Amino acid sequence: MQIAAEAVLAFRSMARHRLRTFLMMLGVIIGISFLTVLNSLGEATKQESMKRFKNMLGTFDTIIIRPGAGRTRGMVSLTNVPATLKFDDVQAIISEVPGVKQVAELQNAFDMDVKYRDKAASTAVFGVSSNWLELRGDEVAEGSFFSVDDDKALARVAILGTDVQAHLFPGESSIGKTIRIGDVPFQIEGVLKSRGAGPGGGSLDDLILIPISTASKRLFNRDFLTMLIVQLRDPSRSDADVHAITTLLRERHHLAPSALDDFTMSNPRAVMAQVTQMGSTLSKTLEGVAILAMLIGGVVIMALMLIGVSERRREIGIRRCVGASRVDIMLQFILEALTISCLGGVIGVALALAGTNVVARLQKLPLALAWDVLAISAGLSLAVGVLFGIYPAWKAAHVDPIAALRA
Amino acid sequence: MIELSQVCKSYLRGENSSVHALRDISFQVEASEFLAIRGPSGSGKSTLLNILGCLDVPTSGTYRLGGEDVSRYSDRELSRVRARRIGFIFQSFNLLPGTTARENVELPMIYGAGRVDRKKALALLDRVGLNDRASHFGNELSGGQQQRVAIARALVNDPPLILADEPTGNLDTAASEEIMCILQELQREGRTIILVTHDDAVASYAAREIVLRDGAISADLRRQANLANDASVPPEMNHADRS
Repeated sequence: MQIAAEAVLAFRSMARHRLRTFLMMLGVIIGISFLTVLNSLGEATKQESMKRFKNMLGTFDTIIIRPGAGRTRGMVSLTNVPATLKFDDVQAIISEVPGVKQVAELQNAFDMDVKYRDKAASTAVFGVSSNWLELRGDEVAEGSFFSVDDDKALARVAILGTDVQAHLFPGESSIGKTIRIGDVPFQIEGVLKSRGAGPGGGSLDDLILIPISTASKRLFNRDFLTMLIVQLRDPSRSDADVHAITTLLRERHHLAPSALDDFTMSNPRAVMAQVTQMGSTLSKTLEGVAILAMLIGGVVIMALMLIGVSERRREIGIRRCVGASRVDIMLQFILEALTISCLGGVIGVALALAGTNVVARLQKLPLALAWDVLAISAGLSLAVGVLFGIYPAWKAAHVDPIAALRA
Repeated sequence: MIELSQVCKSYLRGENSSVHALRDISFQVEASEFLAIRGPSGSGKSTLLNILGCLDVPTSGTYRLGGEDVSRYSDRELSRVRARRIGFIFQSFNLLPGTTARENVELPMIYGAGRVDRKKALALLDRVGLNDRASHFGNELSGGQQQRVAIARALVNDPPLILADEPTGNLDTAASEEIMCILQELQREGRTIILVTHDDAVASYAAREIVLRDGAISADLRRQANLANDASVPPEMNHADRS
């Protein structure tokens, strides 16, 4: 068979039945474009939420311990947590759990009044240990962070988040200036690098960091903590370390065996896995929908091809008479189905690329085109063409030529 | 050229009963013979045409075409025989819709030689007097012209056997004569022509006539064939033995 001559005839037949050809392609177009768009957006969303998650949690070899049983909704502060985690607990964890490398402490309050000359702001104040920056993966953009000695000396030094810097010191440097937090004067030593939005979309830059000892003794007058970040030596052994810390804290807090923990530990790795899992469950569901669309498209191809076969009985008869075998006829019809489904696939991918670009721009998501999805699309198009082309092609091959030509 | 011996064809109808479309058909056709097959509808003409045209195989009996027993051939082998050795002509012309005269003539080469020889197609169109219509579509041609395209198509792989199924059924007298004239010319070239027809005038071109009734041969007549453009002379019929 001369494919080129055949292809000319096939394309002319498709051109003559434009509407039918278009309808046959439609299911594949919809299926493929949805599949590609959903997958690209799913991937982009996953990357974006991972980034935001990392923004909030910092590094990944850490465990977070919060006071109180169960889950405290939202960000904790001194006003909404029980006073169960003490500075002594931190010392105990460091000295008794060998898997722990270091612990960062946090004591914080929201909506603190901050003043610089005639400007006032209301912001979160975080009293933190000097290793906070390292464990959060944060950086100082300007100036410097305070030292262990500053902490020990109850130094009144502050590091500003970029939002506070922008609000109190628009267009000028804040380094060396003195602000008042509550009524206590603090000298500004540094400004943090901006961290952007957290998972909820809120700014992570609207805060002031001060040494935790200064915070607890000079500002808050509290001896309990709102959060600990425990860095592990070996993150793969985090389960054992979580267990050791739990046992130690329960013992120190004199909890009866039947009592609930009066603290909560979260393992970022597990949470991270959950978030990723959630994302992929969602995209799997959507992919299922897209594949369903493809199947419907396939059924449409089959139905229209069956109509085509009965309309083209005469053509089939002629071809058979001039020497086409049943196999030749089958191949011809399968080739036509393949051509249509693959063209549909190509159009679908083109639409998807355009669609992904538009949505990515609107949603401000990074465009993540997955090339493996293109491969899957190509495979699916071929599969739909073959799968739903076989039966009509078989029907075509079994048309009785003389009966068709005498009609 | 053609040798049918005790050919039967039956179709299953339902579970156990079968319909005998052809029973015990035996006859021979020599090369360059012009044979007409006649018979009322339901007499088995279509079935016989299917078998002669290698579109179907007999249930029992043998069919030899050019010395080759094709009665047990597979679909692929039959297709090869059709492509190279049989040309079909039909009542309703059966040109491919949406294709030009030349493309119609080229179609059998796709399945036969596997290589399209455009010059050959054009030469054949020239032969049937349509060299100026090569790029016309089927629906732009008259009935007679369409049938001449179909004849050119039937000839393109140079087959020794031409099967013509009511070739003039849709044509007026003048066009019919043209077509029959071409068929006679093909016979003179040494091709075997088998013609299925109801029409006495058309059948009169054949020197031999086989009549089918209820799937069996009821008469096998030989006579002086009418010559083209001489249809007014009534043919003289001679009864021959049933073979």
